[in-house]
Amino acid sequence: MADLTVAVSESAFQRLFVVLRDSIRWEAQDMTNFGPFTAGYHVKGHLEGGSVDFRADNSVLIDELDVRWDKFEFTLGLDIPEICVGGGCINMPWPIPDICLPRWCVFSANPDISISPDLAAFVAQELSVAGRPVVRYYDASIPPPVIDPCGFLRDILVDNSIIDPFPDHNQWHIHLNPDFIDLDLFDFADIVGNLIENALTAAVTALLPGGWVRDLILAIIGGIADFIRWLLDIPDEIDEWLSDLFNISFGLGDLLIQLIGEFFGACVPLIRVDDPLEVLGKEISTSVLLSGSPVELVAVTVPVRSLSVYVDNVEMVVQADIGG
Amino acid sequence: MPFTDRSDLFGAVHEDGINRLVRHIMRQRPSLFNYATPFFHNNAELFCVKFEVDDKVLKAKNPLFTEQEPLPILGAPVPIGLNFCLQLTDAQLDFHPGNVFGLPPELGRLADQRFALRLKGCMGIDCPPKELIDELLPLIERYLVAQQQLAIGETKERVPGISTHYTPPSSAFDNRERERPRTVALPTRSLICFCLELYAVGHFEWGTVPGSQQIWLKTRLDGLEIVDIEPKDMESAIECYLTTVLKLGILPRLIIPLEKMVLDISKEFQEMGLTLGRTVTLQPSAVPADVPNNPAVEEDQIKAFLKLTVTGGA
Repeated sequence: MADLTVAVSESAFQRLFVVLRDSIRWEAQDMTNFGPFTAGYHVKGHLEGGSVDFRADNSVLIDELDVRWDKFEFTLGLDIPEICVGGGCINMPWPIPDICLPRWCVFSANPDISISPDLAAFVAQELSVAGRPVVRYYDASIPPPVIDPCGFLRDILVDNSIIDPFPDHNQWHIHLNPDFIDLDLFDFADIVGNLIENALTAAVTALLPGGWVRDLILAIIGGIADFIRWLLDIPDEIDEWLSDLFNISFGLGDLLIQLIGEFFGACVPLIRVDDPLEVLGKEISTSVLLSGSPVELVAVTVPVRSLSVYVDNVEMVVQADIGG
Repeated sequence: MPFTDRSDLFGAVHEDGINRLVRHIMRQRPSLFNYATPFFHNNAELFCVKFEVDDKVLKAKNPLFTEQEPLPILGAPVPIGLNFCLQLTDAQLDFHPGNVFGLPPELGRLADQRFALRLKGCMGIDCPPKELIDELLPLIERYLVAQQQLAIGETKERVPGISTHYTPPSSAFDNRERERPRTVALPTRSLICFCLELYAVGHFEWGTVPGSQQIWLKTRLDGLEIVDIEPKDMESAIECYLTTVLKLGILPRLIIPLEKMVLDISKEFQEMGLTLGRTVTLQPSAVPADVPNNPAVEEDQIKAFLKLTVTGGA
């Protein structure tokens, strides 16, 4: 029996997943000039749907998590040099006032031509990913291999302050190794379903401003839109089922994403546990000596042995032993 | 059976892990378990029980024990005392069913949901040899006579051979401390050591405290036994005293309010830079509605059952 056991139920994970999913929102915007050209973007999005499933084969499936865009606006602008005609004055002898010609300019604005289409309604992604926790031991005394692609990736991430550098002491590393990643860059089922639902909802709302009849019709429209989404999603479901069955992503894009995911999964740990683990920190004590002189007491550490993580269809379990 | 069949989150610690952890702390913080007069810095071989110390403690030159004033010689006209050492040499915990150590017959078999504690302590006290006492006695007598003369208004006389003040070596010393006379220990060649074993049995329970609306987790002492002290009445008196100290002095300080055991996960995520739209907390599962015992002491482990609660928001 392990010295330490911590288990989290699938249902707790699912509830936490919903809270996390609903809390994650992002927004970014920027504008750059390339001489007379201007390019910019303004994107804003959130997550919807999706589910978490613990499976008996030691894997976790995050299924059909929708990436939704509230704004997906790209701006392209062109600044044409200003062209002016007219202007100038003809000096007339006194007392006749000078005659000044009117001045007409075109392309005075900056940029003169600008388009900013918002593609939010036409862009939606869907992500399904299955992965399994893998525990590895990082032995700081072993020099890295001569050709070390992981080290190269980690150096980049460390240089950009994305991850902490690997320490000079040993650690247990928990990685998430993806089995398959299915990212639908254009989730046609949802795009079409949303467009139909929005169009019908707008039409019904214009015809019937309120009341239970309108609510009933809107509910029916929602059901029809869901049916269309389901119907259009069947090919993708088959694709995901096959990916899950063979533990490999189908499609060039998904295969590439899976390769990148596996590279990250293998090289960058999600959780690190120091070995030995500090249980009592360094302490400056003035009560150890009768004189009251301060003494810096060393930290108390314990070796961590046999760290393991596994998942079955009801819970995720982390176990470890305290070394002798 | 799954660990989380009756809760959202489950945590357990095995008695072997706790006992190993205690041994690590003993090796790396020996000053928590060994108390002695400064004399032992240069005479560590006189400790009653040799103890293991981690290399890093030696490398950092950490004290191996917490310094104590010598045991005062009561009635002596000058502050003199005896060197002594007090060591906690063993500390073990045994969760039901008891199998780490045997309990003395007075405590019986370890009952369900109970834990047992075994502590072994040794004490060594200097016993000054007859020659030293014979040597010191005239000086003490002379000092006492000198003190009496001083009391009736005669000239102050310094008694040669007896130093009444210990000057600590450290310069970083508080002035008030400097003025306080330190007890001087008599020279020591050997100590008389004795060891005692103490066994205690206890359990955890939830309850209220008069004047507080909160629910508290309390550690309760069910029995205590010191092995092999004679005469029997002295053993009973010491056990009664220690039981009273534990029940009224130490354990009441260890009660934990339920609120303290609630972990605000929303706050944890906020510290990581993600604000959750709802409040997520982890709190102990209710007894007996969710689980029969929480924490439970069974299968050689202490187990905690927690439930995840999501409140507020959409």
